[in-house]
Amino acid sequence: MLPSVLLVGYFVYVSIGWNVVVSLSNWEGLEPRYTIVGFRRYAELFYDPVFWISLKNNLLLILLFVPSSILLGLFLAILLDMKVKREGVFRTIYLLPFALSFVITASLWAWMYDPSVGVINVLLEKLGLGFLKAGWVTDSGIAMYCVILALTWQFSGYTMLIFLAGIRSIPESQVMAAEVDGAYGFSLYRRIIIPQLKFSTLAAFVVLIVFALKGFDFIYVLTGGGPGYSTFVLPLEMFRETFSMTHFAYGAAIATILFLIVMVIVVPYLYMSSKRREE
Amino acid sequence: MKFPRPKRILLYIILILFAFAFILPFWTCITTSLKTKHDVIYTVPVEPPASPTLEPWTEALDIMGKPLLNSLIFTLFATIFSCFIGSINGYVLSKIRFKGSDMIFLFFSIGIFIPYQTVLIPLLLTMSRLGLYNRIEGLILAHTAYGIPICTLLFRNFYREIPDSLIMAAKTDGAGTWTIYRRILLPLSSAPFVVAGVLQFTSIWNDFLFGLVLARGSEALPASVALANLKGTTTAFWNVQMAGALWYALPVTIVFLILGKYLIRGYMAGAVKG
Repeated sequence: MLPSVLLVGYFVYVSIGWNVVVSLSNWEGLEPRYTIVGFRRYAELFYDPVFWISLKNNLLLILLFVPSSILLGLFLAILLDMKVKREGVFRTIYLLPFALSFVITASLWAWMYDPSVGVINVLLEKLGLGFLKAGWVTDSGIAMYCVILALTWQFSGYTMLIFLAGIRSIPESQVMAAEVDGAYGFSLYRRIIIPQLKFSTLAAFVVLIVFALKGFDFIYVLTGGGPGYSTFVLPLEMFRETFSMTHFAYGAAIATILFLIVMVIVVPYLYMSSKRREE
Repeated sequence: MKFPRPKRILLYIILILFAFAFILPFWTCITTSLKTKHDVIYTVPVEPPASPTLEPWTEALDIMGKPLLNSLIFTLFATIFSCFIGSINGYVLSKIRFKGSDMIFLFFSIGIFIPYQTVLIPLLLTMSRLGLYNRIEGLILAHTAYGIPICTLLFRNFYREIPDSLIMAAKTDGAGTWTIYRRILLPLSSAPFVVAGVLQFTSIWNDFLFGLVLARGSEALPASVALANLKGTTTAFWNVQMAGALWYALPVTIVFLILGKYLIRGYMAGAVKG
């Protein structure tokens, strides 16, 4: 086990520390330079409009994409729990997008959203709803919402899975007792089942929020952050500054901030779930 | 709880409508991949082609063939390595209790959640210093290292369910640590190996970020980056892009359809995408 501790120690912990060191330096250009200049890069972030746009879009993902995926997933899980025939088929269909690479789903949605020959606009036209046609991901006003819709499509199967497992772990006797008391259908869910899904909900929240913060592939492939900076998020901004503009110190500073935000969410969660497992 | 008839019908209508919404992007991807460029522009995207053509598929394979092979190689190696290392770690952390084993478990667990952006610059520097930049070996090393945490978690949680008395009995028979692992735990491990293997296979195969940073535009180019490169080129039209996406989706889709049950267990164990 020792070699793997060293391997993970190096690639995770040493690398995180190294990244912090880079963020405190003035490294620009391809040759590494480690002249420490302190927190100057972090101060510059404050005056960088793209940083604020990116942060705002990350927040938008947390505020819209996370709850919509959770609600849709919960809804599908409740429906599937009603002794549905062919449940496995439905489950497979809903989960398939989540199993696939973001590069694939982003390619599919690029085709869906293509303004000239793409699926959505052509279908609207054929259905006589031509007035609803839009530029979708090429319209900076709604591009971010298009991203959110597509990501909800990809993640709802996953939240459905978490909730379905949560519902199935509630003892049958409790459900039956409630039914004897006259609770059935949606009142059964509201009063008995949903309150017991606290931990499932928490798990789904943490996983989705972490994704909303660090997700990169999907947006990079679908919009590249555009049009303009309208769909930039922190990981994209980090990538652009570091690898396109070779502002290594600046990119490292963004990465460090991202790391801190994620850890604020993950560490308490890990602590709670280890406590819960011990009980 | 049985609902009255009309409600059941409504239930199925809703489920089927959602199923259509989930399938629509895949469906039009398939129909488009079988059309000529002319048909892509002048027919409705959801319509199957009147005269299907496989030309986009062969054209996409010309571009994606080598990258698909690259992806297959590093995915298989990194999957095998990370699963075996995870299995040994899981054994040590669950069965050989020692001071600080919980700390080491936490040490691995955090590795599951870190945003990879935080390690991207050091990773790139490390790989170029080791001479592994733009090399398949570099991708194998990176995916193995970052796969160890989740594999450790999966195996540790599985081995905890195996009764300690089994280990004790073997110990009194004079079996050493390594023998216990090989003779007792490993033969019981087919389930976690499938779960971890399927999870690692899909997530390494699906990776984009490491490939983009460590092997862009080179001999080791992964299929994910090759597919992303297809997009935005004027030469590859939508039909070729969709065919490329389907080639790249094929292995994971097969794994998902056959071994989905195990993949779900991997997801539930706290797996995180991205």
